[in-house]
Amino acid sequence: MKYFRFIWKNVFRKKIRAFLTMASIVLVLVLIVVLSSFLEGMEGTTGTGKGATHIVVQHATGLANFMPLAYRQRIEQIPGVVAVAPEVWFGGMYKDDRPENFFGQLSTDPETWAVIHDDYTLPQDQLKTWQAERDSFVAGKQLIDKYHWGIGDRIQIKGTYITGMLDLVLRGVYTGPDESNIFFHNKYLENSSIGRLSRTGIFFLRTKTPEQVPVVCDAINRMFENSEAPVKAMPEKQFMLQFAEMMGNVKLLVRSIALTVLFTVVLIVANSVAMSARERTTQIAVIRALGFRRRQVLALVLSEAMVLALLGGLIGVLFSIPFTHMLVEGMKHSPVAPFAYNIRISAATLLTAFVAAVAIGIVSGFVPAIRSARVKIVDGLRQVA
Amino acid sequence: MWIPIKYNLRNLVVRKVSTAMTVLGIALVVTVFLLVMSLAEGVRKTLSTTVSAKNVIVLRVGAQSDVQSYVSFDQFEAIRTLEGIERNKDGQPLVSPETVVLINIPRKDGKRTNVIVRGVGPEAFTLRGDNVRVVEGRMFQSGTAEAIVSTRLKERFADMTIGRTIAAGSERWTVVGVFDAAGSPYDSEMWADLHNVQDQAHRGTGYSSVLVRATDSGSGRDRVIAGVKDDQRIKLEAKPETEYFAKQMGTAKPIQFLAYLVAVIMAIGASFGAMNTMYAQVSARTREIATMRALGFSRTVVLASFVLESTTLGLIGGLCGALLSALIVHAVLTAPTGTSNFATFAEIMFNFELTVPLIVSGVIFSLAMGLFGGLLPAARAARLKIVNALREA
Repeated sequence: MKYFRFIWKNVFRKKIRAFLTMASIVLVLVLIVVLSSFLEGMEGTTGTGKGATHIVVQHATGLANFMPLAYRQRIEQIPGVVAVAPEVWFGGMYKDDRPENFFGQLSTDPETWAVIHDDYTLPQDQLKTWQAERDSFVAGKQLIDKYHWGIGDRIQIKGTYITGMLDLVLRGVYTGPDESNIFFHNKYLENSSIGRLSRTGIFFLRTKTPEQVPVVCDAINRMFENSEAPVKAMPEKQFMLQFAEMMGNVKLLVRSIALTVLFTVVLIVANSVAMSARERTTQIAVIRALGFRRRQVLALVLSEAMVLALLGGLIGVLFSIPFTHMLVEGMKHSPVAPFAYNIRISAATLLTAFVAAVAIGIVSGFVPAIRSARVKIVDGLRQVA
Repeated sequence: MWIPIKYNLRNLVVRKVSTAMTVLGIALVVTVFLLVMSLAEGVRKTLSTTVSAKNVIVLRVGAQSDVQSYVSFDQFEAIRTLEGIERNKDGQPLVSPETVVLINIPRKDGKRTNVIVRGVGPEAFTLRGDNVRVVEGRMFQSGTAEAIVSTRLKERFADMTIGRTIAAGSERWTVVGVFDAAGSPYDSEMWADLHNVQDQAHRGTGYSSVLVRATDSGSGRDRVIAGVKDDQRIKLEAKPETEYFAKQMGTAKPIQFLAYLVAVIMAIGASFGAMNTMYAQVSARTREIATMRALGFSRTVVLASFVLESTTLGLIGGLCGALLSALIVHAVLTAPTGTSNFATFAEIMFNFELTVPLIVSGVIFSLAMGLFGGLLPAARAARLKIVNALREA
């Protein structure tokens, strides 16, 4: 610690260089935080805590196929099942067909909705009204913030693969892990093509305890194995993961980008530390002549890189939070809007970024530090800048 | 004039390590940019490779893709009677009713994703001409549960070789052939017999979409489109096949967005790196610069030659990056890759496409990094006072 002032002075000996090097570390860390937040957002965060008792049942062939509504009564009788709701993904257009105006529209049974989605909160009186009025809907807080709907407002949604128009009135606002959807009465769909066929897209259900989830999934799968429409039951987390898997190799792509980016910044920082050390060969020779050991010189130069990396890391992590928020806000009004939701910065991401900064410091400081430690006193003193 | 230029360029060689590191940094940024952009370009190219400008696709009003569409048998019969449709030798209208279903099956890496199974009749092949042809095995027989798969599908999914049976839910198809669809979106699909697909998917007698060949891509096509919209028996939506696929291009948007985001942030970072190198050079060469100025070279010449030095740094980086990404695309990333098509919810497969315009933009990009990195240090070099600089030890 007693050498700290010495290290500090050396780091800021050339202010522009210190600033530029730190700025590139800051930029890279911001990018790393943004990229890992995107990755986490894509994977979704449900399935922990209360969501651990949720099961989703879909048609075995794939989500685009529908199952008979009559399955509901049979699933309800399986021991451990608390409640079941048939849900249909309406996939309609609000206002226009621009992707920034797309959000999830799900039909559900409001009688069991609150029991199953125990991770959502909806005021009791709003739930009562919603249950009573078949043309009403509830929306996630996020959508309210985006569209500024008020209770009692009507919205129209035009069907795409399900024909018809939804004309719904807002009766409640829910909060919870995923606030990017609206839920409406499944009775509203009774006269649509799906309603007439008595079919549904998925069954959403909840078990009493998380331990029952695999048992119940198994029971459901076996129950309809040989029917006209076999099903696949799975924990909600796995259901959500399907969508991330459908994105293909995007995850690998993002990871490789992050690694390359880290490598690039290591080059930049290493180059800067090396330049700084080279310019001070005489100084290093002098302190060696004063009695400093080789490993002390090594530690000094390495510490310079660490100071740069830690300062850059700290600023980068701090700066990445408002930057990511800004970016997400911007994305909400662009064609990539569907990705903007669910992006949150987790503590783990920030920690990873900071660890990356430490790694940048160590890796990039090492080679210049060894080179400086190897300087022969005689050569160093003889050299003139 | 040549002396400062030679002086600056030779200096790049003198400090090899520092130059190499700066160049490598710029090269990596260009490589990342080019690779991600060639991914987006792959999606774009696949969706813009269509078969014929005369083809018109008929869908339910509002449907974004045939996966979400439904056309009844009666509507199909009415479409056949429309004006502007090309006829074959026997005088029959060239119209192909098709039923698509999505099946969820595992890729080679074990992860599952959606794939389109397209039920087609013989007309489907007539309408696509030579663009869809069997390259291995044989065509499926009508009335059976046989199927042909695209070459990209075969490479990317498990169990797609000839003789294997693909199972999803209660549906079963046996692969008897492999087809090539000339890089069009059909290259991500599996094709089987129309009636078999209707049966297995319990779709009744209706279809998902109807593909129509117009007599020409002008007035004939317009008449078909108007007829589909206005005929009381039909009331559906028709659009040119090219336009239909172009609308799905949104799939590439997030990838492009990612490319620009990473590129812009990293470009600033890399030019900071270049700036660092150049500042160090200017201060290490203070006396040399002053000597040049004393010899009579103007400030402008010094400024220009230092900017040239850093731009050259950027250019070498850009060229290395272009070379590196070309190497990666042609040697490592040869297998088709895929992502979810938001309009169909099925996987769309494509190859990385590193085009010449992309490479040019990458190199220009690297020049910009060098220029930006060199401007301020060069200005400092040009501003040096001769007397002070010469005096400096």
